[in-house]
Amino acid sequence: MAKCPVCQGAVDEAAAKAQTGMTPGGAKEVDPTMGTRQFHDGTWYYFDSLDCRNKFTRNPDGYLQGSA
Amino acid sequence: MDFAYTAEQEALRREVRQFIKDNVTPEVADETNPETASERPRGTGPAAAALYKRIYERGWLGITYPKAYGGQGGDRLTQYIVEEEFTRAGINITLGGSGAPAIMAAGTEEQKQFYIPRLIKREVSFCLGFTEPHAGADLANLRCSAVRDGDDYVINGQKMYTSAAHMSTHIYLMARTDRNAAKHDGISIFLFPMDTPGITVRPLWTIQNNPTAPAGTTYGNSRTNETFFDDVRIHKSCLLGEENKGWRVGSMGLNLDRVGAARYLISVRRDEDIVNWVKRNKFDGFAPGQNPAIRDKIAEMWIEAQVCRLMTMRSMSIVERGGKFTYEGSAEKVWAPEHGVRISEAITQMLGPYGSLLRTSPHAIEDGVFAHNVMGSFQSGINHGSVQVMRDQVARRGLELPSSRRPKKVEAK
Repeated sequence: MAKCPVCQGAVDEAAAKAQTGMTPGGAKEVDPTMGTRQFHDGTWYYFDSLDCRNKFTRNPDGYLQGSA
Repeated sequence: MDFAYTAEQEALRREVRQFIKDNVTPEVADETNPETASERPRGTGPAAAALYKRIYERGWLGITYPKAYGGQGGDRLTQYIVEEEFTRAGINITLGGSGAPAIMAAGTEEQKQFYIPRLIKREVSFCLGFTEPHAGADLANLRCSAVRDGDDYVINGQKMYTSAAHMSTHIYLMARTDRNAAKHDGISIFLFPMDTPGITVRPLWTIQNNPTAPAGTTYGNSRTNETFFDDVRIHKSCLLGEENKGWRVGSMGLNLDRVGAARYLISVRRDEDIVNWVKRNKFDGFAPGQNPAIRDKIAEMWIEAQVCRLMTMRSMSIVERGGKFTYEGSAEKVWAPEHGVRISEAITQMLGPYGSLLRTSPHAIEDGVFAHNVMGSFQSGINHGSVQVMRDQVARRGLELPSSRRPKKVEAK
């Protein structure tokens, strides 16, 4: 279980990446309500909502260092 | 200088209009409308598939592409006439973005032979994997990486606003292949299938989804996507153009994709819609066209629409003659979307309070299409290169103004 770097809420990485469907082109689809993620400096960070992810995007170092 | 169409071109326009009258049924129009077909990938319903097959058989798909690759070897004005008529009917007959022109410009013979005929027949469709969440309006900030491993590349990262990812067979991806190069260098473009293991699509629902926009809405999509790449392994033959030279290929493809009718027509159709509505309808027994303020605004917007049309014609003429085409598409990409915002807002003002009602209101005009267009119109100024970036390109490439320089850091005394 990951911790959202913005709101500190719990995020289930497996659920965020779990396949819930398939596009007609054959790509895996996921449930958007299970959170999202961002690839930052070689690491995937998990967020409970797009809102948190957007805040992180504006100031990633601040959230990772706890100064945001 | 003759701006008139030839007799043959006028005959073609009549032929296309008759075809649309005979073949575009309400079922097809619903299936092909990107807003109403949000739960069913655009153009993949049975009625739409049959329609596109008939359009292909008439030779109206891929008109400007060489016959050797399944096209018609035709000119851009012919393409424009056909596209104009189908766009009015809500049928998208473009090849879906900058992939095809980029392949023609930078692809290997094998890539052209594989992709171009399939794009024309609509057996292959691309989503555009360019934008990233942190990159802002400067695409060159992208971080999605492609690392060479033997005969393969391994891709890791994510893309944002990959609008057609949930309905495309392939992706046209821009990724960083050299982390140590300057930001506009070290970028490469790849073409590969969406069923490659490691690709994940996460839906993002836009303002157009609640309530879903009605048929006839010409801006925006109900759904876009985030797309993730976890150790996606592709063969080196998926590279388009030279490694680390993708910025040039991508920019060229985007610029060439801006030539033509589609971006101008979505705005002009709004003008035609309101003129037709004003002619047909009355408010409390009063014809809106009798109001001089409404007549004035409609005329103003019509004149703006003609500017869109003339800019498009100029771009097509330059490309058709093989001339240098650098900033003209950017200028169109500013004028047409901003005209679209102005006409959409003007229409809601003309219609008064009714103009702001969405389709869920029983008092909505034309199923709320004008109100939905206001919301969607703002998207077109952002996607495919924001108008601010386009203006910068016009200033630098067209007017030869210098590039921006970062201000020197001010040292504290």
